[in-house]
Amino acid sequence: MSPPSLFDLLELPVFRTAALEIGLLAIAGGLLGTWIVLRRLAFFAHATGTATFPGLVVAEAAGVSPRLAALVVGLGFAGSVERAGARRPTDAVTALALVAALGIGVVLASDVFESGAAVDRLLFGTAIGLGGADVAFSAVAAAFAAAGTVTLGRAWTATGFDPGASTALGLPARHSDRALLVLVALAAVASLPAVGALLVAALFVTPAATARLFARSVTGLLAGSVVVAAAVGGAGLYTSFWLDLPPGPVVAVMGAVAYASCAAATTVRPPTALRPREAR
Amino acid sequence: MTAAPVVLASGAALGYGGDPVLEDLDFAVPAGTSVCVLGPNGGGKTTLFAGLVGALAPTAGELEVQGRPAYVAQTDRTRLDFPVSALDVALMGSLAGGRWWLPASRADRRAASLSLERVGLESESGTRFGELSGGQRQRVLIARALVQDARVLLLDEPLGGVDPASAEGIEGLFSALRDEGRTLLVSTHDVQSARAFDVVLCLNRRQVAFGPPDEALGRDILEATYGSEIVVLDGGDGPVRAVTVQHHEH
Repeated sequence: MSPPSLFDLLELPVFRTAALEIGLLAIAGGLLGTWIVLRRLAFFAHATGTATFPGLVVAEAAGVSPRLAALVVGLGFAGSVERAGARRPTDAVTALALVAALGIGVVLASDVFESGAAVDRLLFGTAIGLGGADVAFSAVAAAFAAAGTVTLGRAWTATGFDPGASTALGLPARHSDRALLVLVALAAVASLPAVGALLVAALFVTPAATARLFARSVTGLLAGSVVVAAAVGGAGLYTSFWLDLPPGPVVAVMGAVAYASCAAATTVRPPTALRPREAR
Repeated sequence: MTAAPVVLASGAALGYGGDPVLEDLDFAVPAGTSVCVLGPNGGGKTTLFAGLVGALAPTAGELEVQGRPAYVAQTDRTRLDFPVSALDVALMGSLAGGRWWLPASRADRRAASLSLERVGLESESGTRFGELSGGQRQRVLIARALVQDARVLLLDEPLGGVDPASAEGIEGLFSALRDEGRTLLVSTHDVQSARAFDVVLCLNRRQVAFGPPDEALGRDILEATYGSEIVVLDGGDGPVRAVTVQHHEH
């Protein structure tokens, strides 16, 4: 099968909607991904998306808005993990909550509601089923991510760099960390229709982790992360239309390849940050 | 007339929810004083600093600091992999002004540049923090405290892992800061360097001593502070010489 012309695809309303959705998610994912990677919240971000799975199954069967159900479950997950982990989620608490949510989701999908083919869409996303409401929700998530980065970015940087000094600097570390978790949960829910519950990390972790290999400043990391998310998301969307595949897995694979390639390049030439200078 | 203390502990105790890990704190530190905080690992030095910055509330008594103190952490407590330059780190001090939700102003940047110049690192302002040597990192964190313009500085083992030349430079900086009226509380394991301070505060889960080096660095007090973790080399009529044999926690 020969690859389709991009211009031909752009003639399709469904492709334009999907491209707009991916573009907005690239902004949200790139900006928040920077903080996720810097603050070591990658596992939490992945778990938040996956934890929405049981809520999506129940909503699908009950005819309730899946977005609303996912939002309730996602925020509930973020809140409970934050509370259990006392301020910042620990991997053990996150893993426990993730396994429980995934197990409940599988039982509900296979034995209770017999969700069938709809489960694939919930887990891996869809490119052709996206609508105006999905785009609007993603636009809100992108706007919140941008607003959070502008207003809380300095506090997130200072607290992450030197947690012990945050109180002495008068920073509301606890509240700003909670805000970050809520924004991640909101953006993860926004990305569910396009990339699915299992592959949220494809837009929220991999691009920022890739940009981190080269970035020399937080601002550079923010910009690079958005650019990588847009590039990987766009290429993944194009490929998913070309090969008739769900976009989530394609974006995830492309992101992983991009990261591996860049990591290999920087291994050949190690970042200077890993080589502290001699005492002067 | 004696100046009002800028740091005051009155029967204070600090803890993390259970039994107090540090108690019987009773001291008053006037402005422009350098205080060496001595004690073994687990003796309460970091807990005292947590109480002074307000991260821990006293479980008994009172612990007061005039204004908001600046906290200078051990550099290995910072994230060396963060993509921040020396100037970025110094600029973090401006967050203490209370307008943390706004971008750094031109005045903030100027203050950060001047602070880096003050600690002799103006030529490294664009260098990534993680690429600096241990002594340079410590000076950048001190520059952050200067941007914060705190009158009280809490320095947690600032000379740990720093080469002798850098340590000498940092100690010279301490003297300059004290001379301009700032109050310094510096925790250290180095008994010998404590003699250069105005006052020594010895801790071992409680306040063992607080006073001038000649009084606070006597054999009995050092042994009460460190127990078996100290070797007293000599003493007699002159100053006691002693070395600690404990290992740093990592």
